[in-house]
Amino acid sequence: MQIEFSAEQKALQQEIKRYLQQLFTPELTAELAAAGAEEGGGPEFRKALRQLGADGYISMSWPKELGGKEASAIDQYIFTEEIIRTGFPYPFLTTEACGPVMAEHASEEVRETVVKGILRGEVVVAIGYSEPGAGTDLAALTTRAEKEGDDWVINGQKIWTSLAEYSDYVWLAARTDPNAPKHKGITMFVVPTNAEGFSMSPIWTLGSVRTNATFYENIRLKDEWRVGEVNQGWKLITGQLNRERLSLVTHGQAEELYLRVARWAANTESANGKKIIDRGWVKYNLAKVRTGLEALKLVCWKQAWAMDKGTLQMADASVAKVYGTEFFLENYRMLMEIVGQASTLRRDEHTDALMGALEHRYRTGSILTFGGGTNEVQREIIAGAGLWMPRGRL
Amino acid sequence: MNFELTDDQRDVQVLSRKILEDYCTNEQLRRFDQGERFDPILWQELATAGLLGISIDEQFGGMGFDFETLCLLVEEVGRCVAPVPVISSLVLGAVALQRFGNDDVKRSVLPDVASGKSLLIAAFSEADHAGAVPTTLKATRSGQRWQLQGEKHFVPFAKLAQHLLISAQADDGAALFMLPSDTEGLRMQQHTSTAGEHQYALSFNNVELDDNQCVLAGDKAAAALTEINNLGVAATCAQMLGICEVMLRTTASYTSEREQFGVKVATFQAVGQRAADSYIDVECFRLVTQKAIYAVEHESPRDALAACLIAKIWAGDAGHRVSHAAQHLHGGMGVDRDYPLWRYCLWAKQLELTLGNSAELTEQLGEETAAEFKQALHN
Ligand SMILES: Cc1cc2nc3c(=O)[nH]c(=O)nc-3n(C[C@H](O)[C@H](O)[C@H](O)COP(=O)(O)OP(=O)(O)OC[C@H]3O[C@@H](n4cnc5c(N)ncnc54)[C@H](O)[C@@H]3O)c2cc1C
Repeated sequence: MQIEFSAEQKALQQEIKRYLQQLFTPELTAELAAAGAEEGGGPEFRKALRQLGADGYISMSWPKELGGKEASAIDQYIFTEEIIRTGFPYPFLTTEACGPVMAEHASEEVRETVVKGILRGEVVVAIGYSEPGAGTDLAALTTRAEKEGDDWVINGQKIWTSLAEYSDYVWLAARTDPNAPKHKGITMFVVPTNAEGFSMSPIWTLGSVRTNATFYENIRLKDEWRVGEVNQGWKLITGQLNRERLSLVTHGQAEELYLRVARWAANTESANGKKIIDRGWVKYNLAKVRTGLEALKLVCWKQAWAMDKGTLQMADASVAKVYGTEFFLENYRMLMEIVGQASTLRRDEHTDALMGALEHRYRTGSILTFGGGTNEVQREIIAGAGLWMPRGRL
Repeated sequence: MNFELTDDQRDVQVLSRKILEDYCTNEQLRRFDQGERFDPILWQELATAGLLGISIDEQFGGMGFDFETLCLLVEEVGRCVAPVPVISSLVLGAVALQRFGNDDVKRSVLPDVASGKSLLIAAFSEADHAGAVPTTLKATRSGQRWQLQGEKHFVPFAKLAQHLLISAQADDGAALFMLPSDTEGLRMQQHTSTAGEHQYALSFNNVELDDNQCVLAGDKAAAALTEINNLGVAATCAQMLGICEVMLRTTASYTSEREQFGVKVATFQAVGQRAADSYIDVECFRLVTQKAIYAVEHESPRDALAACLIAKIWAGDAGHRVSHAAQHLHGGMGVDRDYPLWRYCLWAKQLELTLGNSAELTEQLGEETAAEFKQALHN
């Protein structure tokens, strides 16, 4: 066993850290600190993303034949983690999920425009899966794509289409055979957000983050904008969800908050002259956070390692997803307790950056327990695939 | 033993609920999601119904009911996430003044509070962790004058208030002052809390006060502040209780309607069991809250303190768990600002961290417990 990074991996980590430091210009930092711009889309964000593309980071994990470096899962994890640590709203779903799938299955035209654009950091893609009636039961989606001559005509509504407000395309799941069993009549499309018949309305969330309802009214697409075989879309969706799950729970962002709070508590004196960190309960909370984080880190490391070896078990991804997303909520809580009521102030020019970061994180963290494959279903997968218990009814 | 409300109390509850529900639909609340979270029309309506003076003595223009009855109004405010300052004005302000002010002060302020004519807001919290006795705002006496120097934090409605009630650390112990909000030397820095409420950091730069602005000083002040803090904690639990009840009920109804996989999601065992856990949380939390409210009026300060600590620890734990269960079981709908749940979840977090959080209060309760048992050994 060797439960630490190798010398090369450590060097890579340092290199990425240095790289990201210089990527974070004061202008980018200021842009991302402004309310509403945390999720990206601004000019500085676009500039940084193009830089990441030009420097080969976006294609890092992609297969060589698709123009990537085929980095190991561990190297990719190191990158993911470091960039999440910085708070940069890296469009993982575009770069890690849609991009490689499109590169493998899309037409020449889509590969030339969309995929190359993604690799250059010029294109961001929103995910159009969920619908008002199709959330956990995603395969129940009803947005229709019908063949008219050589073209497809798309009609329907999606909900929670995040980033659509600045995305260039929507990666859309649509029903192409309403008579087939529900998993067998779905096809994937790439819909340009400037297509005629596309519209959206914003949905504002508890976390102040914007997402969207997106509407598709007689959108006409050439067959080239279909991806993969007709009625074989489900496999492309599920292949992508597995990749998504890992990037949801990297420990870097949670650890960063822990380190900042611990430093703050060690530096800050309370009125009685003692440091905040000298209080018994503060030490207890820090220890609980540290204990939880250590397990999360190891779960993620082992998963990346198993991916490289090709031995990743089905239950493992679900373990990381359930444990990570539920730990995050406890983590924010315990850290906010340490900081006290100041942690409930929203970020503004007069609040400490640490407090603002905690407040923002806790408010945007709750969606992960049901997003990206709800935890109840993940638990069923663990019981079934991990323990060979008979599956419950769905 | 009796866990029932009196007829009068039930009337207060029904009346409060009726008025608050009229003013707190999702549409109406949206108007207060930005800016000051204060609805002056609703406040006047509550005043007209006599509810602002529920527990203000009759001789000062109120109805003279007990603290328990006031907490029913507070719970309803939680249930409606109503944009009114019940705790910082009616509990920490009016009840505190009524218990510890002299008749002159009470006569000059309380009738106007009860009628809604003026707003009295308490500013007790300091930047450091919660505690009844202030440490950073210093009051120095010279002759008939006082000088205040230091800061108060997390004060809602401070800009709207006519009177501020503040605690300070004097040379010979704690002290309590009342001053107009436009007092010279007092500056207010506006922040926004997680629940969207404006809160102010108050800085006192050589603020000069007259002796008659000192409500209380000397030996009795520290005990008084502990008692006031207990009242604030108990009332905060009542507000959290209203919030938790709504999060729980909303979750039960939503999951009973929402369908996935061709069935109501409530019929998935994992969903039902998680909701049931929240129900258990709310029941336990309700009882310790009722006990704390009872204890601050009927039990020794030491027992009342323990009861309040227990209730507030439950408030933090139950608030956190019920809020996350509600958000989770709603799926995306729970975070959509067009659906009413989100305000409750943000308020649950805010109240969890107000007047002490579960972690620090658990340690404090441990200290109290240890002291009790050590003392018992000596006796
Ligand atoms: C801020 C935000 C951003 C999002 N971004 C995107 C995006 O970019 N693209 C996209 O396509 N989607 C996106 N989503 C949608 C997200 O994937 C869904 O919310 C998720 O799939 C859950 O679906 P739902 O909200 O309809 O909840 P529901 O499916 O209605 O679930 C409600 C509750 O029932 C439970 N439940 C459902 N089925 C079962 C079962 N079989 N067993 C046990 N319990 C069950 C769930 O766990 C949940 O607690 C986003 C959501 C949010 C809130």
